[in-house]
Amino acid sequence: MLRAKKMNVDYSKDLGSDTEELKTGIIIENLSVRFPDKNGGDPVEALQNINLEIKPGEFVSLVGPSGCGKTTLLRTIADLQQPTTGTISIGGLTPREIRLQQKFGIVFQNPVLYEWRTVRRNVCMPMEIMGIPKPERTRRVTQMLELVGLYNFGKMHPHELSGGMQQRVGIARALALRPKILLMDEPFSALDEFTKEKLHLDLQRIWSKTKKTIIFVTHSIQEAVFLSDKVVVLSPHPGRISAVVDINLPRPRGLEIKDTMEFNSLVSKVRNSFEGV
Amino acid sequence: MENGYLNTEAGPLKINAAGEVSTKKARARKKAGLNKDAVMTVLYPVLFGILVLVLWQTQVLHKILGTDTFTLPLPGRIINIIFENVPAILKNVQATVIVAVGGLLLGSVLGYFLGIVAMAFPKWGSGGISIASAFTAVPIVAIAPILNNLTKDLSDDPHIRSMLAKTLVVMITCTVSMSINAYRGFTELKPFSLDLMKSYAASKTTIFLKLRVPNSLPYIFTALRVSVPASIISALVSEYFAEFIIGVGRQIRESIVLAQYATAWAYILVACAIGILMYAILLIAEGVILKGRRHR
Ligand SMILES: Nc1ncnc2c1ncn2[C@@H]1O[C@H](COP(=O)(O)OP(=O)(O)OP(=O)(O)O)[C@@H](O)[C@H]1O
Ligand SMILES: [Mg+2]
Repeated sequence: MLRAKKMNVDYSKDLGSDTEELKTGIIIENLSVRFPDKNGGDPVEALQNINLEIKPGEFVSLVGPSGCGKTTLLRTIADLQQPTTGTISIGGLTPREIRLQQKFGIVFQNPVLYEWRTVRRNVCMPMEIMGIPKPERTRRVTQMLELVGLYNFGKMHPHELSGGMQQRVGIARALALRPKILLMDEPFSALDEFTKEKLHLDLQRIWSKTKKTIIFVTHSIQEAVFLSDKVVVLSPHPGRISAVVDINLPRPRGLEIKDTMEFNSLVSKVRNSFEGV
Repeated sequence: MENGYLNTEAGPLKINAAGEVSTKKARARKKAGLNKDAVMTVLYPVLFGILVLVLWQTQVLHKILGTDTFTLPLPGRIINIIFENVPAILKNVQATVIVAVGGLLLGSVLGYFLGIVAMAFPKWGSGGISIASAFTAVPIVAIAPILNNLTKDLSDDPHIRSMLAKTLVVMITCTVSMSINAYRGFTELKPFSLDLMKSYAASKTTIFLKLRVPNSLPYIFTALRVSVPASIISALVSEYFAEFIIGVGRQIRESIVLAQYATAWAYILVACAIGILMYAILLIAEGVILKGRRHR
């Protein structure tokens, strides 16, 4: 009960809102990523001729069937994968420059936790690298673990947690950094409906308070429509954009919005733009 | 919106409570299982050992092997000899342990360092490590006499000269396994853990200290599980060839030459005790240092 009270505290002034000008608009032009086939066959066209503009502070979802290049696109934006052709510009800078400025926060598709660190120390790790002072680190770790509902599990090691709990540790770790650009690769896919809906609302709240740019990969059309300003639909072989659907639902969005006509017609619109599945 | 938020707030809390209960149970189960396993793995060998001792003391073993109590003295007599010669035995134990532990530490540190070098220069690093692994095939018996010769001029004191030669033998045997395992520990990283570091623009030094070194810890123990027993064996064997007559291994040889089989057996027993003790220390250290990691 005590914990519940604590969780209702408004962290808005704490979540790293910025006064400085955010130059985090992303412009992707003619981007292609090809993976050479190791057995000498045709190279895999993971992404072909992607053109996409993401405004600063926009919440964009990537949806599409498995293997259509969602992860590849996210990794290329984060400078973890080099484009074969084309360019990505983030506020006029290259992804590499943005990465070196430590402006990315990434939630990987499978939680990449260090098994020798406890949950708390895993969340802490990037902040140690960025030289954030210890008291501040401790405060943020506590705050983020409460947010993802893992406050009581801070002293455990990753292998003692369930898959969904591990994923939430990864989310806490990315949020604790207060990144300017948050890249999330199916962050909620292993979570139950309750936890997922809570985190949807939390994520929306954090996003609207901090105005960070979020790119969110998901398999769930409902989730994409609920969270996003814009849903980008990708098609496989080769990976390309088949539609971009603007979501003009009012904000802040509560769970009841899912029962509205507008919401469901947008879900249908996104579903109908899937190709060749 | 405020309402919706409050409603869902309760969700994860319930899950939390349930989650906690189930993990506590799981932990208790794991503990109990471990204890039972541990008891079994200790109990069976101990029972077998006691059986052998009884057969030995009652001379049944001698009948089976067709030998006498002169060549294979009774356990009681061997124990007596150990108690009667405590100071002499301790002196020899000290010499052997210094060589074994000294060589183990020097070799392991050097091996770990070589692992770092191989990791830092990946182009020839993995090749170098493969070549190094060929050295494991070189028998101690072959290098011990050579090193005795090589260290002849290092000191005027034959005691120190011999100690150096023996330590070098042990060091060489321990270097190889540590360098191979350390290299693997630095490079066999979980998928994407390097990407995670890169995404924070972590420097090479940070990646080394926060990712590669902790990742290498289990590999260090893999190496030590090989090199701790190997260090004792090579210490004992190198004593055979040393110029200065000291050490548990050398006393085994000297006693056999003089046909003092009971004394030889006493030293064999002491050598076993050293080996078991060092291995036990290693296992305890491993348990403490790797606590919390998934068992491999
Ligand atoms: N490192 C790589 N080497 C070779 N091929 C790759 C590599 N990474 C991705 N691919 C290929 O690129 C294509 C897109 O992969 P990607 O992981 O981006 O898909 P995805 O949309 O994230 O799929 P999922 O929804 O299953 O996660 C696939 O055909 C995959 O085989
Ligand atoms: Mg993916």
